[in-house]
Amino acid sequence: MAGRSQHPEPIMENQTHFDLNAAIENWRQELAGQLNLASDDRRELETHLLDTVAELQRRGLNDEESFWLARRRVGQPQQLDEEFVKADPGKVWRERVFWMWMAVFLSSTLSRLTSPIMFAFVPVNTSTATEVASITLLLLASLIPIIIAVSLAMGKWVALFSKLTQMVGNRRHLAVAVFLCVALSSSTQMVARAILNSRHNIHNSTLILQGLTSTIHPLIIAFLLVWLMPVQKQKTSKRA
Amino acid sequence: MYKTAMLAKDLVAASSKPLVLSILADGESYGYEIIQKVRELSGGHIEWSDGMLYPVLHRLERDGLIESEWKEADTGRERKYYFLSSDGRKALKTERQQWLAVHNTLSRLWKIKPISI
Repeated sequence: MAGRSQHPEPIMENQTHFDLNAAIENWRQELAGQLNLASDDRRELETHLLDTVAELQRRGLNDEESFWLARRRVGQPQQLDEEFVKADPGKVWRERVFWMWMAVFLSSTLSRLTSPIMFAFVPVNTSTATEVASITLLLLASLIPIIIAVSLAMGKWVALFSKLTQMVGNRRHLAVAVFLCVALSSSTQMVARAILNSRHNIHNSTLILQGLTSTIHPLIIAFLLVWLMPVQKQKTSKRA
Repeated sequence: MYKTAMLAKDLVAASSKPLVLSILADGESYGYEIIQKVRELSGGHIEWSDGMLYPVLHRLERDGLIESEWKEADTGRERKYYFLSSDGRKALKTERQQWLAVHNTLSRLWKIKPISI
């Protein structure tokens, strides 16, 4: 063991400029790679790291020293991951399920908005073409939740999702956005159906029924989303 | 690495609940501050590794003993503050009785004056 190069952490030479923000960003990415840390947990750990860095700087350490010491104090991302999952094994899954349902909701809204256009405005005699087009659309739409589920399970785009979660932030905002989506897509469908029905001489009384039944499904998902939403400012109800 | 003056690992784990509850009984606080307080009050005998406190806090929150809220601190950054719930206050009372019972038993054995519970 030659005692010369025994630094546990790589210590850069003084000439190279140390970028504290870049180092913190790297750390954030590393933390985002841990599967069991919910976005709220990562945010909390980040504030802890920043607090530690700030305190070490106050004590006279430079940016680089403060960062590496703070990093070591907060703990290894992998170790944190293991400890956090012990405390609340369901938390990270609630968040994952939320995003999967969000994907289902978005893809269904998208197809509800686009499919009427195909059915209503494309001439009736090119029915095979519309068939093929609608099946392709359906396949593409159902791919979205699958892609999101796989990427979340692999720990990809986690930073993006935690940023999105922070943006959603408020349960009331989410509820308004989601129900607006339902209203918009349902009304588009109604209009399209009305056009289609008039073309086929179908009586409009069935229209309302059709509209209502097609709204039930997205409404259920909308309620589910609002309920599942990973809240940032949670106030746990008092239960014995 | 091991210092005799430091608390054993299982004792650190067991005492984390009454310590957190007692600190929060004095008013809301956040993870970093809680660790500082424990280090200070224990005279350095209890050293919590930073990342390990949060699972403890989250478990207490899940049990309904503490509650949390993201709030902007004077630094302008947001921090997750924790505060005691009414159930937490009750739990602290029980913890206090139990820890003092242990303390008094040991005190009598060691011929130190016990503390009234």
